[in-house]
Amino acid sequence: MLEARGLRHTYERRTVLSLERVTLAPGTRLALVGPNGSGKSTLLRLLAFLEAPEAGELTLRGLPVRSARERRAARHRVTLVEQRPYLFRGTVLANVAYPLRLRGTPRAAAEAAARGALERLQLGVLTGRQARSLSEGEVQRVAVARALAAQPDVLLLDEAVSAADRAAQHALFAAVAEEQGRRPLAVAFASHLLEEAYRWSNDLLALHQGVSVPVTPENLFRVELPGGGGMQPVAIGGITLDVVCDRSGPATLAIPPEEIVLSREPLHSSARNTLPGRVVRIAEQGAAVRVTLDTGVELVALVTRRSVEEMGIALGTRLFASFKTVAIRIF
Amino acid sequence: MPVLNAEVLGITALSLRIAVTATVAACAIGVPLGFWLGGTRFQGRRGVLVVLNTALAFPTVVIGLLLYLLLSRHGPLGGLGLLFTWRAIVVAEVILAAPIAAALTAAAVQSVDPRVRRTALTLGAGPLATAWAVAREARFALAAGVVVAFGRVFSEVGAAMIVGGNIRGETRTLTTAVALATSQGEFSLAIGLGLVLLALALTVNVLIQLLQGRDDA
Repeated sequence: MLEARGLRHTYERRTVLSLERVTLAPGTRLALVGPNGSGKSTLLRLLAFLEAPEAGELTLRGLPVRSARERRAARHRVTLVEQRPYLFRGTVLANVAYPLRLRGTPRAAAEAAARGALERLQLGVLTGRQARSLSEGEVQRVAVARALAAQPDVLLLDEAVSAADRAAQHALFAAVAEEQGRRPLAVAFASHLLEEAYRWSNDLLALHQGVSVPVTPENLFRVELPGGGGMQPVAIGGITLDVVCDRSGPATLAIPPEEIVLSREPLHSSARNTLPGRVVRIAEQGAAVRVTLDTGVELVALVTRRSVEEMGIALGTRLFASFKTVAIRIF
Repeated sequence: MPVLNAEVLGITALSLRIAVTATVAACAIGVPLGFWLGGTRFQGRRGVLVVLNTALAFPTVVIGLLLYLLLSRHGPLGGLGLLFTWRAIVVAEVILAAPIAAALTAAAVQSVDPRVRRTALTLGAGPLATAWAVAREARFALAAGVVVAFGRVFSEVGAAMIVGGNIRGETRTLTTAVALATSQGEFSLAIGLGLVLLALALTVNVLIQLLQGRDDA
C-alpha cells in the first residue's frame, strides 16, 4: 500500500535517515523501535508526506508520490498522530469530525461518524467536552480517534499512546486492530517501549542513528525493580542480576547478546554479572553464532565462529556468561 | 449644550463610515499579506518585516502629504478627483492601517503552534483549509490586529486633515472637528465631540471582545 525505497534524509548536513526499503501492506502493524534520535519520527513524517525526502521514492497504492501536489493528494490517504497531538479549539466531537468535514461530508453525517469513532475507542464520554479541558492521555486517544475517522489507508502513530494508562493503551491498540479487521489498513507506530512494540506489532523495524539494525528479541525480561537507587539486585527466574537504575516497579530488562562474554572459567573482571550455565542451542547468524545458555533463564550470546571452534563449544558444554552491569538496558 | 445636534450626528456617521470602510479594506490587504509573511519562508522575508514594522510608526502627516501630492490636481493621480473627498481619507487610512493589519497578522500566525499546520495537513487539509485552521487557532491575536487597525483609523487626524481638507458636511470627521473646535476656542464642543469619539471607540472594542468571547470555554 505504502512503500519507501532508498530513503535518505538529512538535517543540517547530518544524515538522520537512510533506509533501503520500508513496506506497509494492508494488515501490517509495523513497530518502529529505537532510542531517541534514531530517526523514528523523521521516518514517520516522510511516510506521512509532511516532508519530502532528499532522496528515495515513496509509492502509495503503486503510484509514485513525487510532487507537492501528489503529496497533498496522498495526505488524504495517510495520516500521522504526533507524540503530542494537537487538538483544535472547540469540542472533541468537532475535532474528530474535522477530517470528514474536510472531505466534504455534511455536518450531520460527519458528526455521526465521529461519534462512532469515539465510541470504538471508548471515548464516548468525552464527545461534548472542550478539547482544551482534556488530559494529555485523553488528547492522545482523541487524536487517534480523529485519525481513524479520516478513514486512512495508512495510520502512523508516533509514540501516540505514551501518556495513556495501560487500560487505555490496550483499548486503543485493540480498536486499531479491530479497524484492520474491518478494512484494509496499514499501521506503523513508533515506540520506545519494546514490550509494547512486541505485543502489538506483526512486523518490526529497529532504527539506530537512522539506519535499520537487526532486532534481537532475545534476552528480554520482565522484572520488578525493588528501587532504592544506584545498584539494585533484580530477580529473574532463578537468578539475580545487579542493575544500575534509579527506577522502581515493573520494567523490561534487555541484555544485548553481543555484550555477553562466554568463558570456560568464571571471569575475574569488571563484569559484575557472571552466571554458570549449559549450552542448549547453537545457531548460525551470518559470520557469527548465537549460543543459548541455560543459566536458570535462557541467555543468548552472540560470538564469532572462531571463538566457538577455539573454545570447543557444543551442546551441553558448561560455560560462564559474563556481562557488565552497565550493559543491561532497562525500558 | 446641544452637542448631539444634526451636524454632530452627521460628522459621527461620516467618521464611522470612513473608519469601517478603511479598516475593512486595510484588513483585506493586510491580513492575507500577514498570513503569507507569517507562514512562508523565503529570501528577504526579514527585510519585508522590518519595512512593515517601520510602516507602523510612519508619521501620519507624511502619508497625508505624499498622498496630497499624488492626488492634487497636477499630481500623477490628480485625474481621479479624489482630493478633499471622504474617499481620499479612506485611501490615506488604508495606507496607514494595512501595515498594522499585516504586521499583527504575521505575528499572530507566527505565534501559532507549528503543530496546527501539520495537524491540518496530515488530516487532509489543502492550503486554504490549512490557513483557515491556523486563523481559527489565532483568532484572538487576529482580532486584536483588527482592533488596533480600527483604532489607528478612527483616531487619526493628520492625514485626514491634509487630504480631506476638513470641509464641513463633506470631509469633517470627529477628530478633525475636535481639532478645529479647539483651535477656535469652542472647548465645550471639542469636549463633546471628544466624548463621542471615546464612547464609539469603547463600543467597538466591547463588541469585538464579545465576539471573541463567544463559543470559547
